[in-house]
Amino acid sequence: MSPPRLPVTVVGGYLGAGKTTLVNHVLRSSEERIAVIVNDFGEISIDEDLIVAADSDKLTLANGCICCTLADGFAAALMQIRSAGTLPQRLLIEASGVADPAQIAAYGHTPGLRLDAVVVMADAEQVRRQANDRWVADTVRMQLAAADLLVVNKIDLLEDADKADELCDWLAGLAADATVVRASRAAVPIDVLLGPRSASDAANARERPAREGAAAPGWHAVEDLFESQTVVLDAPVPMPVIEALLASLSDAVARLKGLVQAAPAAGASDTTAREAADATAYLIEAVGKRTSMTPHATDPTQPPSRWAISLIARKGALPPDWLAARLHPDC
Amino acid sequence: MGTPQPFVIYPARRVITINPAFPFGEAVAVAGDRILGVGSTDELASWGEHRIDDCFADHVIMPGFIEAHCHVMSGGLWNSTYVGYFDRRDPQGLLWPGCTSIDDVLERLAKAAADMTDDSQTLLAWGLDPIYFPGERLVARHLDTVIGDRPTLVLHASGHLATINSALMDRCGIDETATSPGVARGGDGLPNGELHEPAGMMLAGEAFADMMKANRSEQARWRYANEARNAGHTLLTDLGTTQLWDPEQLGNWKKVTSDPTYPARVMVAMSNLFGATADPAELAELCVQLKSEQTDKLRFGIVKLILDGSIQGFTARISWPHYYKPPPGHIGNGMWLTAPDQMADLVEPYHRAGLTVHCHCNGDEATEAFVEAVEQVLERYPRWDHRHTVQHCQLTTPDQYRRMAALGMCANIFSNHIYYWGDQHRDVTVGPERAARMDACGTALASGVSFSIHSDSPITPLGHLHTAWCAVNRVTASGQVLGPDERIGVPDALRAITIEAARQIKMDAEIGSIEAGKLADFAVLEDDPLSVDPMALRDIGVWGTVLGGVLQPAQISKL
Repeated sequence: MSPPRLPVTVVGGYLGAGKTTLVNHVLRSSEERIAVIVNDFGEISIDEDLIVAADSDKLTLANGCICCTLADGFAAALMQIRSAGTLPQRLLIEASGVADPAQIAAYGHTPGLRLDAVVVMADAEQVRRQANDRWVADTVRMQLAAADLLVVNKIDLLEDADKADELCDWLAGLAADATVVRASRAAVPIDVLLGPRSASDAANARERPAREGAAAPGWHAVEDLFESQTVVLDAPVPMPVIEALLASLSDAVARLKGLVQAAPAAGASDTTAREAADATAYLIEAVGKRTSMTPHATDPTQPPSRWAISLIARKGALPPDWLAARLHPDC
Repeated sequence: MGTPQPFVIYPARRVITINPAFPFGEAVAVAGDRILGVGSTDELASWGEHRIDDCFADHVIMPGFIEAHCHVMSGGLWNSTYVGYFDRRDPQGLLWPGCTSIDDVLERLAKAAADMTDDSQTLLAWGLDPIYFPGERLVARHLDTVIGDRPTLVLHASGHLATINSALMDRCGIDETATSPGVARGGDGLPNGELHEPAGMMLAGEAFADMMKANRSEQARWRYANEARNAGHTLLTDLGTTQLWDPEQLGNWKKVTSDPTYPARVMVAMSNLFGATADPAELAELCVQLKSEQTDKLRFGIVKLILDGSIQGFTARISWPHYYKPPPGHIGNGMWLTAPDQMADLVEPYHRAGLTVHCHCNGDEATEAFVEAVEQVLERYPRWDHRHTVQHCQLTTPDQYRRMAALGMCANIFSNHIYYWGDQHRDVTVGPERAARMDACGTALASGVSFSIHSDSPITPLGHLHTAWCAVNRVTASGQVLGPDERIGVPDALRAITIEAARQIKMDAEIGSIEAGKLADFAVLEDDPLSVDPMALRDIGVWGTVLGGVLQPAQISKL
């Protein structure tokens, strides 16, 4: 079995929207080992306390990975990262302020990598003007349209809540495939940006014990604006049920991640009787309108994985039993 | 101080000086590396002890041609096999006939593969232009038939695509499971060997890197200058290819240009295009430092910036109504490579350091953004005679030329486009009206903007007689005249390829015309550009050059 593919997060958005702030926030807050590629000219603005060494062509980060540029192309950057000693668990690519994040996202299809999410930053105060600017209107709108997660940053600078609501509604129209996330100083919950940790735990049960309480029923607050829930699966789920779940995600859902056994048969009552060996393991993920199902390699020499699905949604948007109801449509 | 003794008098059929005060001479006198004077042989002999060399008695001597926009790749690419549509002469003087059908391309590749001795080596080729093969597409299957198992990569003329064979696809792990949008697929849904844009081309990373690595070598620099000499050029501007902070690349420039037989002067621009980590203020400082160490043959002091893409690639920024017939799915306008509202801050450190900024602007919206940035910077830091230059300048409008004149800006116009892509510009990219006013040398002249013209080699072949021919005749590859009202006369075209090019790289005090005291850099021609039919301008033979008084005959080179 080939090793799991390295998830790639693309951070895009126009100049001044807070891309670098977000990159620093992720490096500071995530427990993952993250390597960074920047595409922009000018100085790399990684915070000093996150850097342990600086060379002419790369920075060594406190997490052991490196930050390098696309100066000699993506292949060269990838080679630099892979030869840096500490293998990353994620690749973060910061696009330039005028780049089309969708084009950068194409690098996420390089063998050995998988595109996790395109995060596009918008400056709450400036984005309307930029999206109507004589020169960059089309560039900015193209960037917004490429988003899986659209972060409306510096939302605290807007005068009142109505203005923020109105702006977010307008942006949702420009970024049809995205979940809109409000933030100040780019402080988006790390689970929203990179995917729920509880499901990562599930997927990596043999490496890390599940966090206490992560699987308790009902919603758990994820900072101020989001909440999460996890459903532990004790049996394979029929494939049509999984497909229907992924198709039913509204823009209130920021993230979904799960490790499931998909049963080929349609009836749920049927499946419970089935042996797990007949089912195929999948990693299922959703961010914005982007959904994916990847066959998941199970290692027979290791303790069995823990089957579970985690979901992060905007606070108050969905009922407490939302996920469970979708997984057991007959109940 | 006495006259340098002895000096050499070169009588010629005619000396065209490009000095309006003394436009023609019968002979030119050279003392050491400098011009002692122009005039009649008798007048020149009166300077003192001399020798008369009649080797140019039947030739026409002009100031050496100055290319203000090309790239050192034009030396490095010849390590790979040329498969372009147009005839092209390599730096060794060998003519490569254009490949005008897919069969021609395959035949050329098969021969190149047969000539290779090392079985493990990848066959690399460049210059493929599918725009000329409508209806049929070169794909891996074609390459497999003629080349078999040897990994093969063919880079397209645009530089945005490559086609590889099945052997290279296997080696790079490109198969039906590929998810990259950069991997093109055929009618059968399988990858067909075409790789699009950097995200696709990087999948053939190693082969591609080999091709690019060649550009850093000494050999590439020799070939670059040999090609110049063979075409009558005495100065080349490497505009934004070299990473000057890389000791290997800078060192190779120093090494080759310190060889007294190196047949060209080179102006190497500072660039941050490919150096993403660079801070403009530091680059400005480095450029000023390099300028203080420059030699007669290796010059610094200009900076390359870039705002947009290319017109034929539909990535240039063009004002409304944008593109005429863009491909399906095109977003309507091109792309910014630098944010326009960031330009002023980017230009400022170079401007304040006394450097000249040359900015790539193919579309008129890009020109507008650059002109506006220069305006802002001049308001902040007034400076006389900066000569900031709009490079390519292909769709610059009359009002923009008037502003450029007022601001003291120069233009370097991509005249070769008229011949190589003029038909496509009229029929597809911008439509008849705007195609007629592209590469507007006539408007530049009327507006009082100092302008040069260029090849952007390797994008189009180096050779100022051809480039001047384009500006004078505006004839496309299909033989039609594109925008006759923008044509200029031969005398103005000859100024554009000599003194005006020297002016925009601030070397017009030293080169660009034949005048007493200037460096003895000449283009030696077989015929008189001012006497031949303007349509025959590009057919004039080039004997070679004189560089700093040293004869440099065009030749099959030692490489």
